[in-house]
Amino acid sequence: MMDWPTRFDRRHFVGTLAGMGAFAALGSITKPVAAFAMDHGPELTAAEMQGRELVRFPGKVPMILLTDRPPQLETPLQYFFSDLTPNDAFFVRWHLSGIPTTVDLRTFRLEVSGLVQKPLSLSLDDLKSKFEPVSVVAVSQCAGNSRSFFRPMVPGGQWTHGAMGNAQWKGVRLKDVLDAAGVRAGATEVYLHRLDVPPVQATPPFEKSLSLDHARDGEVMIAYEMNGDPLPMLNGFPIRLVVPGWYATYWVKSLSSITVADQPLKSFWMQKAYRIPNNATANEDPSHLSQDTVPINRMAVHSIFLRPGPGEKLLAGRSYQLEGLAMDGGSEIRRVEVSKDGGQSWTDANLDPEIGKYSWRRWRADWTPPARGNYHLMARATNAAGEAQLTSQWNRSGYQRSVIEQYDAVVL
Amino acid sequence: MKMQRVLIVLVMAVAGFGTCALRAQQAAHANSQTDDAAANNPVQKISLPSYPPELPPGPGSEAFRNNCLICHSARYVTMQPRFTKAVWQAEVQKMITAYGATITPANKDAIVEYLVSFHGTKDADAQQVPGATAPK
Repeated sequence: MMDWPTRFDRRHFVGTLAGMGAFAALGSITKPVAAFAMDHGPELTAAEMQGRELVRFPGKVPMILLTDRPPQLETPLQYFFSDLTPNDAFFVRWHLSGIPTTVDLRTFRLEVSGLVQKPLSLSLDDLKSKFEPVSVVAVSQCAGNSRSFFRPMVPGGQWTHGAMGNAQWKGVRLKDVLDAAGVRAGATEVYLHRLDVPPVQATPPFEKSLSLDHARDGEVMIAYEMNGDPLPMLNGFPIRLVVPGWYATYWVKSLSSITVADQPLKSFWMQKAYRIPNNATANEDPSHLSQDTVPINRMAVHSIFLRPGPGEKLLAGRSYQLEGLAMDGGSEIRRVEVSKDGGQSWTDANLDPEIGKYSWRRWRADWTPPARGNYHLMARATNAAGEAQLTSQWNRSGYQRSVIEQYDAVVL
Repeated sequence: MKMQRVLIVLVMAVAGFGTCALRAQQAAHANSQTDDAAANNPVQKISLPSYPPELPPGPGSEAFRNNCLICHSARYVTMQPRFTKAVWQAEVQKMITAYGATITPANKDAIVEYLVSFHGTKDADAQQVPGATAPK
């Protein structure tokens, strides 16, 4: 039976093989080498991989490949047994192939301009030394996380549940930076620009905007650290925006300049992309697409199963602990219920202590499968605002998935 | 850290696991950023690996390669489910309208035919079958 999760201990592995005398032959590589199967252990099941490949990118453990140029890499579920997702396993999602591959901190500056009294040009050291550092634990989740579970399937990154991660972010308040520049009267918007560039001139550069009120709420952060370390290049080195509770499309990576303005940003990425049907559940009918759309914003209630793991088979009469994660847009997860009979009856799961309202929350529920057979497990989270997961949902872009999570368990 | 990771790759090589030497080379440079960070180097630099999927030959493959791979890898196709011709047409049109791809009408048709030939389905419902997801 699969041992889920069994984390591969790299140090142990290296030490063991070194002891076996493998060092002696280091000079000559003549045989082809595996695509990291050994580095990642057997816990990545066919059920999780779904034919996808594990690949290696700079500063990253082997990740599930969606696309290589620009990179879109999914976090294997095993890393979600940690409350904080390791930086080197944190998901990666870029839109334009001209992503930054070199950053020189001696010349890097964050420019703040537009409707401000005093334009700023800040080095990373300026940010660290001239502003009060703050930190928050928050989930960063791609708007299209779990997209591959929508039916009918929709074009886009075919993520399973690994386009998210939970980290402790450290940086400075966007509000403090804006205050230092002195926002002028009449300003309503803050535009955010990045270091990456489109592959051809006609492609719209990736730009996002926040309302000035949101940008000055004291929670939106310019982060320079993630789990105590600099950001990986692929996660936005040297600085990125952290917008607690909002989908990651607003967490602008490799943030390079901020423009304060009095008009909504005219950008493909705000006006055409990353929009959802203008209703509470981001729902629409495939045959009658909604004409009324709004930019995606706060995260919906979402939950996932970690145990049983993908493809794991269980034994009748043995006790198990079901485990998973639940998250929302910052109203705090208050309740997770689990069903083992396809939603006919529900029991409350136990919630781990809260880490922070923008963190995910771990849930656990004991279960002893009474007999062999197939069981339709479900998990349904509810937040403090009373928002619960949905029984059905679909939209053309596969955004904001909030459907009650399901797991078909096989008990032998 | 660097030593450890290099050793893993080399040890794997010696042990003779698997099939692909290219991947090992990619792994060897994959963690250069970590090394720079450790050394407090003000210049962060990474090299991006590429993992091109195998594409079948066929009518339109040249139009696909010449027009689409300028901006993104073919993984953008192979990671998708098999879609109907209508969906692929809409996707190629999106590349033109939204992302500014300069694709002639003739090439557009050729690209759509090519996509449908190896990653298409006639049955819209087939898109709903998980097994229809064929990233390979």
